[in-house]
Amino acid sequence: MSTGAEADVEADADLVHDELEGVIGDRALARDDHVNAPGFVVNPDDVQDVLVDLRDEAGYDHCSCVTAQQYDDRFETIYHLKKYADPTDEVSIVVPTSLSEPVSQSAEPVYRTADWHEREAYDLVGIEYEGHPDLRRILLPETWQGHPLSADYDQEKPQIVTLSEHANPLEPDHRDPESDTMFLNVGPHHPATHGVLHVKTVLDGETIADLEPDIGYLHRCEEQMCQQGTYRHQIMPYPDRWDYVSSGLLNEWAYARAIEDLADIEVPEYAQVIRTLGAELCRIASHMLALGTFALDVYGEFTATFMYTFRDREIVQDLLEDLTGQRMMFNYFRVGGVAWDLPEPREEFFEQARDFLDELPAKVAEYNDLITTNEIFQTRCIDTGVLEPDVAKDYGCTGPVARGSGVDYDLRRDDPYGYYESLEWDVVTRDGCDNYARVLCRMEEVEESAKIVEQCLDLLEDWPEDDREIQANVPRTLKPDADAETYRAVEAAKGELGIYIRSDGTDKPARFKIRSPCFSNLSALAEMSEGEYIPDLIASLGSLDIVLGEVDR
Amino acid sequence: MNAAIAPLQNGDTVLLPERIGELTGLSEFGIAGELIAAFLGAFIVANLMLAMTGVAGPWAKRKITAAFTDRIAVNHIGPGGILIIVADAVRLLSKENIIPENADRPAYDLAPIVIAGSALLGFAVIPMGSGIHLADPEVGLAFVFAVAGIASIGLVMAGYASGNKYSMLGGLRAVAQNIAYEIPLVVTGMSVVLFAGSLRMSEIVAVQNETTLFTIPGLEWAVPAWFALVNPFAFVLFLIANFAEVGRNPFDMPEAPAELIAGYQTEYSSVYFVLVYLGEFLHIFLGGAIIATIFLGGPAGPGPAELGIVWFLLKIWAVFLLTQWLRSAVPRVRIDQLIEIGWKGLLVLSFANLALTAAIVGLIA
Amino acid sequence: MIGVLKSMATTMKHALDGTTFTVEYPKTAPDVSPRFRGVHKFSQERCIWCRQCENVCPNDTIQIVMDDQRNGEQYNLHIGQCVYCRLCEEVCPVDAILLTQNFEFTADTKHEFVYNKEQLKSVPWYKDIDPLESREPDRGAWIGEGEGEVDYQ
Repeated sequence: MSTGAEADVEADADLVHDELEGVIGDRALARDDHVNAPGFVVNPDDVQDVLVDLRDEAGYDHCSCVTAQQYDDRFETIYHLKKYADPTDEVSIVVPTSLSEPVSQSAEPVYRTADWHEREAYDLVGIEYEGHPDLRRILLPETWQGHPLSADYDQEKPQIVTLSEHANPLEPDHRDPESDTMFLNVGPHHPATHGVLHVKTVLDGETIADLEPDIGYLHRCEEQMCQQGTYRHQIMPYPDRWDYVSSGLLNEWAYARAIEDLADIEVPEYAQVIRTLGAELCRIASHMLALGTFALDVYGEFTATFMYTFRDREIVQDLLEDLTGQRMMFNYFRVGGVAWDLPEPREEFFEQARDFLDELPAKVAEYNDLITTNEIFQTRCIDTGVLEPDVAKDYGCTGPVARGSGVDYDLRRDDPYGYYESLEWDVVTRDGCDNYARVLCRMEEVEESAKIVEQCLDLLEDWPEDDREIQANVPRTLKPDADAETYRAVEAAKGELGIYIRSDGTDKPARFKIRSPCFSNLSALAEMSEGEYIPDLIASLGSLDIVLGEVDR
Repeated sequence: MNAAIAPLQNGDTVLLPERIGELTGLSEFGIAGELIAAFLGAFIVANLMLAMTGVAGPWAKRKITAAFTDRIAVNHIGPGGILIIVADAVRLLSKENIIPENADRPAYDLAPIVIAGSALLGFAVIPMGSGIHLADPEVGLAFVFAVAGIASIGLVMAGYASGNKYSMLGGLRAVAQNIAYEIPLVVTGMSVVLFAGSLRMSEIVAVQNETTLFTIPGLEWAVPAWFALVNPFAFVLFLIANFAEVGRNPFDMPEAPAELIAGYQTEYSSVYFVLVYLGEFLHIFLGGAIIATIFLGGPAGPGPAELGIVWFLLKIWAVFLLTQWLRSAVPRVRIDQLIEIGWKGLLVLSFANLALTAAIVGLIA
Repeated sequence: MIGVLKSMATTMKHALDGTTFTVEYPKTAPDVSPRFRGVHKFSQERCIWCRQCENVCPNDTIQIVMDDQRNGEQYNLHIGQCVYCRLCEEVCPVDAILLTQNFEFTADTKHEFVYNKEQLKSVPWYKDIDPLESREPDRGAWIGEGEGEVDYQ
């Protein structure tokens, strides 16, 4: 990025500031600008007011993330707002609350997505949100004592929960003579939940009357683990384990982008091309898996589609193994570049990759024959799991889920990073809003990713031999400025994967918050499935393509 | 292959029990002897069918599925992995039989027997060729439909008695599905009866093989009037209704592995599970047997009449293969779509088919 | 109906062409890439006990015990806890620890996965692949010394 562009950005930023100040007016107590966006400190009682104005007047229709954290003297909730039309236009609304009485107004009436985000903030940090419809723990069990990310939480103290306080899972069934609905637990052990998800459903016959996803079974304190690792090396292995089904490099990029932004590190162009190549290979692998598991959900266990997608994913996995040295837990990106240059002999790697790309069109045609043109598949998928674009935006849906609903939002194009800007490819959107549209969207994205990979291969083949710099010169101990804050997102396989980092001047982050696309996408499940049948719920769940490792973190 | 379709001798009414009676001399002992002979005959047929399911379940199904999905499948124990059948039998039977606390016994224990038994019962009236034919009542076809229908009771019993919501949903689906598809199945079967003029299985088979539909010129190969060729429309209708009846893709709603875990059989383990599993396969085979008998000329085929059983089993396996093929390629429909296809589609079509057949048969007569 | 038939034709094509893409593991050992990261190998002769690997390890997999003269006594590595990120190899200035391609290991309890330096030393190469060769190009940046043959036994 040249300095000229930076000056432009600053000029733009000033303009935006003036506008925003006009909208927020004197409700802004102070300015608290972050590295990525202007920030305004707002009184806990003005939250809804300010957010409504920002949404309706200034057009910030995307509540990307809600971060909560504790300082020595206060709690703080940060609403990271963006526009679906232009995600580079960001603003942070910072809401401080006192330590003694951490109560702030809920943003849920303004952005539906804030529902789950605020529940998580309450769960982990302990801030209470007034006016929130359902402020319960979300990741931890109901019986948990204390809030693990708050300062006074005793990590050493074991959580002893007596059985009497548990909701007994073996509680005998009871019948209510008045009611004609049935409660059914779908999960946590169920073949179609893609991990350990528990969906509490209320059925009226086979129709879903009410539905609530219960998450947290796979909560592994990823945020806290990252807070205990050093920026330079120790955080990078963890992103692979968020969305662990082969989209590791995309996740690593989220962290890499955030920290490179925060510590102002320039990544060599050659490394950016390799990153782009690897990331798109990951996307292909991930979408293949999504397609295969969706087929499992719709067909039953003996489907051929699943094995065919795995066969193709396997080729990508082999390529990635050659490149990164691992099949899923890559740990290939480094702060300021990548760990390795292309594998030697390079020609062999290029040949393998090109072979895959050459065969891909025939395979996509085969998938179309096998799945999408099948009439029974169409009757199952068209007009089921409908997610209207407005609802999708309200729930903060991103990625193929949003694009399947016609929301033209792709960070690779709208907030460019890596080498995407200089490559020829298209963002795929579909107007169907249903399960079918989401499936088609993923299949077409595979083709677009293949285009990107091909161009990257061309670039890498012709890259001058003496300019193959894979890592920037990054100090062995990285200490960003104290109190520098940033929220940066990349387009992961499932959507917008954002990382919020606050530095306190040490070599470890003071707060590391992960905005998981699956988390937001999953929260829209109830909206998609209520009033439909159980099979549609299963299909919708499959078409959301959630990975519980990323939902629960 | 000149005129090689083996004609089934008319009046070949020597049934298996009688033959056993004569061979062993049991028929000399009066009714008691006949009974023992009948039991022996039933024992042989039942074991033949069970052996077939034994081959199909643990081995053939794996091999077929693997072929469709580009995998290798079992190949370590025995030639082509065939001894996996023994290994699987030991494995399944040695497992603990877990019975849910709030299972409704004895319905829970009876269900697997009903499911497997009803299918076995159906084979009693099927002429399998080579003299393997247990009984030939006048109402043969109606009898087959009736006993095959009993399986639905087994499914509901299993679903209800397991005390599991998934099982119950599966059981309910099974009822809805069976009611919706039993009627088109029987009505389509009736169109065959109109042609044949009899419900007796041996006569239905005989009629198909005695008349010649047309002769292929040049080859001088007389194509017999198998009802699948006479009325392909009825054949397709019957096939579809049959898939729903036995609960295979695209109509495997009662199990629906991704939705209902395993439907009505969720809570069954060990021996009970084996019974349910065998019952499922028996039903596929019974469906195949009915199709073979009333649409594909029963045990008829090229070669001597002694080969009848081979041809008959081949036809059954062809139907089985078709179920597995569909399983690999066709998604499951939703329960409401299934009911809609059944009541609005198949039922109407099957009645249309019946009316049409009746008109044609009436005209010819 | 045509779509359904097309789907069926597609799977039948696969069934008839007889190709398989799965392999019979463990009869056929899978090919692993030269960069693949498996169980560690450790050379006490090369180790200078600088403890950098212990420091960089993201989840405290490596434990080093030294006496009061800073001589190395123990080098323990929990291969069941390890996340195979290769950071230890990356920071090691003398190639004393590196990750072989060996990915097959079993034990009855997780405690048996705590390897001491002797166990780490006797970890075999996988298919005789010396991972150093494939990683050589970029290792130059890290390794100042240690050219030539490396004897881990």
